Amino acid sequence: MNTQGDLLHVVTLDTITPRRVLLGRVLIWGSAAIMALSFAILGLSEYGAIPLQFDTWRIGLYGYLFWATCLCFAQVVLYGEKGKRVLFILPGVLFVVAMVVFPLFYAILIGLSDWNLASPNGRQFNGLDNFRQMWGDPFYWNALKNMVYYTAAIVVEYAIAFGLALILASDIRARKFFRVAFLMPLMLSPVAVSWMVGKSMMEIRFGPIARTARWLGWDHPSFFGSPEIARATIMLMDAWTYIPFMMIMILAGLQAIPREVQEAAKVDGASGWRNFWEVTFPLMLPVSITAILIRIIFKLKLADIIINVTSGGPGGATDSVTSFIFREYRDRSNVGYGTLLALVYLVLIVVAITIFMKLMDRWMNPRYLQ
Amino acid sequence: MSETPIFHDSEADLSHKAKWFANRLVIYGILALWTLICLFPIYWTLTTSFKMAPDVMQGNMIPWVDFEPKWRGWKSLGLSPDTIFTESTVREEFLKRFWNSTISALGSSALAVILGSMVAYGLSRFRYKFGFMRNPDISFFFLSQLILPPVVLALPFLVLYKQLDLLDTRIGLILLYTLTVLPIVIWIMRDQFQAIPVELEEAALVDGLSIWGAFVTIILPIALPGMVAAFILALVLTWNEYFFAALLTSTDAKTLPVMVASQTGSQGINWWSMAALSWAAIMPLIVIGIVLEKYIIKGMASGAVK
Amino acid sequence: MKTDLFNHIVQMQMSRRKMMQGVAATGLAAAAGGMGAAPAFASGDDLRQQILKIPGVGQGSPTDGDWQKVGELTLGPTKATVAEGEFEGVELTFMGLNNQNLHNFLFRGFLKPWEKYTGAKINWIDLAQADYNARLQQSIATQTVDFDIIEMGAPFEGDVLGKGLASEMPEWVKDVIDMDDYVDYLKAPVGTWGGKTYRVSIDGDCHTFAYRKDYYENEEFAAAWKESGGEGDWAAPTTWAQVQAHSKFLAGKKDPLTGLDAHGFLDPLKGWGGFGFYFLEDRATAYAKHPDDPAWLFDPDTMKPRVNNPAFVQAIQDVMDLIAIKGAYPADQINADPGTTAFQQFLAGTGGMLTWWGDVGSSARTSDTSVVGDVVGFSTLPGSDKVWNSKTNQWDMQANEAPNMAYIGWGVYVMARVDSDAKKHKAAWSAAAHLGGKDLSLWASAYPSGFQPYRNSHFQFDEWEAAGYDRDYVEDYLGSNADSYNHPNGAIEPRIPGIFQYYSVAEDELAKGFAGQYGGAQETADAIAAAWEKITDQIGRDSQIALYKESLGM
Repeated sequence: MNTQGDLLHVVTLDTITPRRVLLGRVLIWGSAAIMALSFAILGLSEYGAIPLQFDTWRIGLYGYLFWATCLCFAQVVLYGEKGKRVLFILPGVLFVVAMVVFPLFYAILIGLSDWNLASPNGRQFNGLDNFRQMWGDPFYWNALKNMVYYTAAIVVEYAIAFGLALILASDIRARKFFRVAFLMPLMLSPVAVSWMVGKSMMEIRFGPIARTARWLGWDHPSFFGSPEIARATIMLMDAWTYIPFMMIMILAGLQAIPREVQEAAKVDGASGWRNFWEVTFPLMLPVSITAILIRIIFKLKLADIIINVTSGGPGGATDSVTSFIFREYRDRSNVGYGTLLALVYLVLIVVAITIFMKLMDRWMNPRYLQ
Repeated sequence: MSETPIFHDSEADLSHKAKWFANRLVIYGILALWTLICLFPIYWTLTTSFKMAPDVMQGNMIPWVDFEPKWRGWKSLGLSPDTIFTESTVREEFLKRFWNSTISALGSSALAVILGSMVAYGLSRFRYKFGFMRNPDISFFFLSQLILPPVVLALPFLVLYKQLDLLDTRIGLILLYTLTVLPIVIWIMRDQFQAIPVELEEAALVDGLSIWGAFVTIILPIALPGMVAAFILALVLTWNEYFFAALLTSTDAKTLPVMVASQTGSQGINWWSMAALSWAAIMPLIVIGIVLEKYIIKGMASGAVK
Repeated sequence: MKTDLFNHIVQMQMSRRKMMQGVAATGLAAAAGGMGAAPAFASGDDLRQQILKIPGVGQGSPTDGDWQKVGELTLGPTKATVAEGEFEGVELTFMGLNNQNLHNFLFRGFLKPWEKYTGAKINWIDLAQADYNARLQQSIATQTVDFDIIEMGAPFEGDVLGKGLASEMPEWVKDVIDMDDYVDYLKAPVGTWGGKTYRVSIDGDCHTFAYRKDYYENEEFAAAWKESGGEGDWAAPTTWAQVQAHSKFLAGKKDPLTGLDAHGFLDPLKGWGGFGFYFLEDRATAYAKHPDDPAWLFDPDTMKPRVNNPAFVQAIQDVMDLIAIKGAYPADQINADPGTTAFQQFLAGTGGMLTWWGDVGSSARTSDTSVVGDVVGFSTLPGSDKVWNSKTNQWDMQANEAPNMAYIGWGVYVMARVDSDAKKHKAAWSAAAHLGGKDLSLWASAYPSGFQPYRNSHFQFDEWEAAGYDRDYVEDYLGSNADSYNHPNGAIEPRIPGIFQYYSVAEDELAKGFAGQYGGAQETADAIAAAWEKITDQIGRDSQIALYKESLGM
């Protein structure tokens, strides 16, 4: 535990007596021992080594909870005021660890297995076979390629969101109404969007969008006919849902710009355009990058709309990685392979995002990672 | 003798005014267009819930002009005026799911905001070191939960929840949803806390408050808009969650999105009841959006510009 | 009975006069072919007449109360086998589908009186159709089978019965549900495994062929057809070769009814969670299902896929030929799944021919959802003039027909986990028997329920007529179903584990082929076959062979 470099400097006068130290250590290790015991009992009964039978793993859960509570408590006992600071993040960390550790390890185990749910043999460990299969799977690489396109579309979404935010931040009437209206698409569930918009409104003959397209002079509108158009349609529907998200983040940023800055720029006689590029945009960079980063993360999980509207068609042109894995996993019950694909994707994302964040970090003043 | 009046608008003024008008026109034009784009699908959903099948097919748009609105969609849910007081299994089911959705969404959002605020505050004020993990690593550890594709966790969670006897319980859903929205809450709240000057707590500490006391009584009230924004965002994400709800619930804890998806199948699509259900499902969020909109914008990234 | 059809009649408020017309037509209409049952009412016709009047044709959609009334009136067999309050304290869990608020919701209504009488309580698990397969597989694989009774399609029998998860049907249930009354294809081996019976049928499924009569009565078309040198008369096609020729001919023509572009056969080119593959099968069964061989998708001795044999390649090639012709399909067909072709295209007046389960033909004919009105006729699936013989590996030049029993139909199964508790066991089977009862099923097939007729006794047109349906219409609609059900060369899909995995991957490969990413039909078919081999190897070839033979009754 090291609190060097805290933003909030507080001098605390805790006298930690050796007895407290001892008590704290006993708490931590004692509870850990009890937790280990509960796990051991479970493990042994699972393999029938001891005559006890448990219906559930609840006892292990209780063991963990006990340890977690004691650990938190012990922080205060051991470190006093400093320990109390740890309490801010310790519950969160313990919660996430509890929720993720077992599933993640189990997922890795599944990912390295040949497991088709329909197979009578159940799960068979097969090492890196899934990995080799992935290497030669054109569907997966195709989906990855599509993700690049989808992610690139964020630039356009960002531009639109920025434009809308600028307008909303400017001097207009009924601003509250427009703000609420612009926020609405974010509230809709993807399931509803894909059916009511993708299937109903884009119906070729009578759907309002098709009719508008004809009215605008597109004689034979086709929203999913060719790979490029289909992909663009999916991008549009996804953009529709998430532009409000970026918009409010940017709008929030715009409203936080001190008035003096804007007015100073005006006094200097900067034109609107130059004013934007030289004052507003640089000021908005940090919030923009946060918005784009979150948006990228959401985009990389894009699936619901594709599953419902195109099932990845035509010929895989709209498949996102998640929608492809979803078919492999759900429709074909090929959970071993599907899980491995998802894990590889996870690693790819983590690496990509880390690089992105490091680059941004270097490019700008350090902001995300203190 | 000059024909020009005394208070004559100079050329420049005129063109300025014209430009101003054109400018306004464009701006309001864009606003109107985007409003249409945002609201039309919602309008479409609402009207579809009152349409008969042929009206849906022909894409009729305006009630009483294009088509005669009927209670068809709402009737199928047992929520139309003539069925509201009669026994209806579908309505019971709908209400049960609505209630479950409400509990799981509210519960998980609240839990996420509580845990997330604490974490965010800690990360914004102190330097931690757990083994090799420092603050940036801890931040990233939380963020990475957001990246996790749900399929990775699907089967493991099924097994884990079965073993812990948490399948088909609202608690199980709440815990899982909390996990999925925690990162975004932490993200928003960290920006919030960073925008609050440290001097505030320092003053409070000098006054004899403990660090937790200062956090609860001084910092949290200031960060309230951010908490509301984070809460709403979490609510939107959890309320609409489909994948895990379909996987982990069956009888007791089932939620609304699964029922929406049930309106399609091998007998075509019940547009009307799907529209009615979708509408009923988004209503609470729309109300929240309208009522709490100002917090959302105030709360989002208010510490963003430095 | 199909929802649309019923609603139509409800809206029409069928007048007395119209009904009389229907009666008059009776004399003209010859009994539909292949009917097993005599056109007299079965025993207990008073009861049957009575329940068919709930709520009565023209009285609005049945509500909860109606479902319960039907459940109450058909409790007879239950009362004969179960004492009142016998199952007090028993709790059962029922997993089924929520398909547009039918299926499970209907069962709730039917079973409420049963619960009241027997004292048992039922908990419900409702699944969306898209989640059904995945959820079932995951439950089985992770041992989270948390239900006692399941509504399940026969294609999953391999997964459930093959793993010994279901409870064998007791003798008394067989008596209650009168299994001899089932249409031919639903009799053993369907519903049985290893010689034991497991399934209470509640539904029958097969694909039939629907076509636009006005296309074939149109003289301009007829003249143009002659002129273009088309083979044979301009009449409804009876073989797939004709379907193909007509579709090519119709490209670029104008629809006589709507004035929009005319199209021929509507192939759904997009997948539908595995269900889309049935529609390619429709095109292939006549070529692939040899009368002397019960197997047609796989070789039962080696599990070698037959999907890349000339029969299937022919079907794929036909679709690809049409894709290549401009205007043969509506725009965006590449993104049309079966639901779209049926409900958004065919019913709305786009396209001339379609294959579907029993309902779309009837809906198109009567529902005012459609602009095609009364201009739709239907028949069994088209046939072929040759059939592939997998034994000799060559075409047998003989006329062939093979209705595709796609999905075979829903059934109710009891899970083996009730076997240890005699009371629970009896309760579960009693509930299943109630749902599969002869009289109750008549009501379900006549009113919106999501279920089709599946017993010979359902095809007694007099009953339908007495209930208020138009005779001609019912005969046309039911006749093609009955003919398919009782066809000696019905193509019944393999009930092996993971069958929908095969379909699903086939859809993906087909989509690629249709989008032009493969060199042609053969290459596409080979890709499917390769993917199928992979799945077979993964699930276990030996066990698949054994189970496949088992399911064929070999």
